[in-house]
Amino acid sequence: MSKDMKFLVVDDFSTMRRIIKNLLIDLGYSNVTEADDGQTALPLLQAGAFDFLITDWNMPGMPGLDLLKAVRADAKLAKMPVLMLTAEAKREQIIEAAQAGVNGYVIKPFTAVTLKEKIDKILEARAA
Amino acid sequence: MTALSKNLQEDFGPTIAALAGALAAGDEKLFFQELDLLVERRERGLFGELRKLTSDLQSALVRFSIDSRLVDLAEKEVPDARLRLDHVLKLTDEAAHRTMDLVEQSGPLAERTAKQAQEILVMWKQFRSRSIAVDEFRDMIRRMDSFLEAASTDMGRVRGNLAEVLLTQGYQDLSGQIIRGVMKLVGELEMALVELVRLSKGGVKACAESEAPSVSRGFGPVIPGLDHGPAVSGQQDVDALLSGLGM
Repeated sequence: MSKDMKFLVVDDFSTMRRIIKNLLIDLGYSNVTEADDGQTALPLLQAGAFDFLITDWNMPGMPGLDLLKAVRADAKLAKMPVLMLTAEAKREQIIEAAQAGVNGYVIKPFTAVTLKEKIDKILEARAA
Repeated sequence: MTALSKNLQEDFGPTIAALAGALAAGDEKLFFQELDLLVERRERGLFGELRKLTSDLQSALVRFSIDSRLVDLAEKEVPDARLRLDHVLKLTDEAAHRTMDLVEQSGPLAERTAKQAQEILVMWKQFRSRSIAVDEFRDMIRRMDSFLEAASTDMGRVRGNLAEVLLTQGYQDLSGQIIRGVMKLVGELEMALVELVRLSKGGVKACAESEAPSVSRGFGPVIPGLDHGPAVSGQQDVDALLSGLGM
C-alpha cells in the first residue's frame, strides 16, 4: 500500500472529520474523502475505489457498526480495512465491533501517535 | 312528581303497561317480547356505563405511564443531564486552556526565530552589497549556525504544538454528542408535559418515547460519575480487550 491510498473518513461532526483529514495529510495520505454518516458513506464506497475506511460509531442515519456490517456483507468491499474511531467505550460494543470484522478500534479522545500506530498495524497485517 | 320519576315514567311506563296488559290477557308471546325489550333497554344503560368506566381506566393508565415517565425524567435523567452538561463545561474548559497553553508556548518560539532572522538579514544585506567587514562576516556565520539549529528545533516544536491544537478541537465532537443527548431528553420532557396537559383537558393518546440509546446505535462518550456499565478507560484497555479476542 502506498501513500496514494484513498481514505474515506466518516463522522457526523465536521470538526472531527477535519482533524482526521489533517492528521492523515500529516502522515502523508493526501487522498481523503469525507462522509457524514453510513448512509452517505456506503454509496461512495460502492462507487469509488477506496482503500481504507475510518468511521465513527454513533451517527444519525446509519451508525458506524451498521456501515461496518454492510461493508463486510458486500462482496466487493468485504476485504476493506476498517478502523473504528469513536467515543463508544462499552466493552460489549468493542467486542461486537470485533465480531463484525473491524480491523482496529481507536477510542476518542485519541492522539496522532495512536492513529498512526493503528493505521500502520492494519496495513502491515494486510501486507503480510 | 319529580323530574327523575317523570323520566322513568316516560322511559319505562309504556313497556311496563304493555307487560302488565300481556300478563293480564295471558298473551305469553307478547309478555316475553315486552320483557326482552325492557331487559335490553336496561342493559344498554349498563353497557354505556361500562364503556365510560373502561375509557376512564384507560386514560388513568396512560396518565400513570406519563406520570411514571415524568418521575423517571425528573428523578434520574434530569440530574444525569446536569452531570452531562457539567462534563461538557469541563471538556470545553480543558480544550480552551490546552489550546491557549499551546499558543502561548509557540508564540515566543516564533518570535525568537523572527527576531534572529531579522538580525541576520541586516548582516546578510551588508554581505550582499559587499560592504561587510571580515569580523562581521565571521559573526554572521556564527549567528547563522546557531540560528539554523535553533530555528529547526523551535519550528519543530511549533509544528508539534499546532498538530496538538488541531487534535484538541476534538472536544467539539465529544461535547456535541453529549449536548445532542441532552437535547433529546429535553424534547422527551417537553412531549411528556404536553401529553399531560392534553390529558388533563381530556383525550387519550399514548406518550411517544424517543429511540433509546443501544449497543447498535451507540451511547456516546462516557460521562464520569454516570454508570454506563462495563466500559474501557482508554486506548490501552481497548488494545488489551482486542488482543484478548485474538486481534
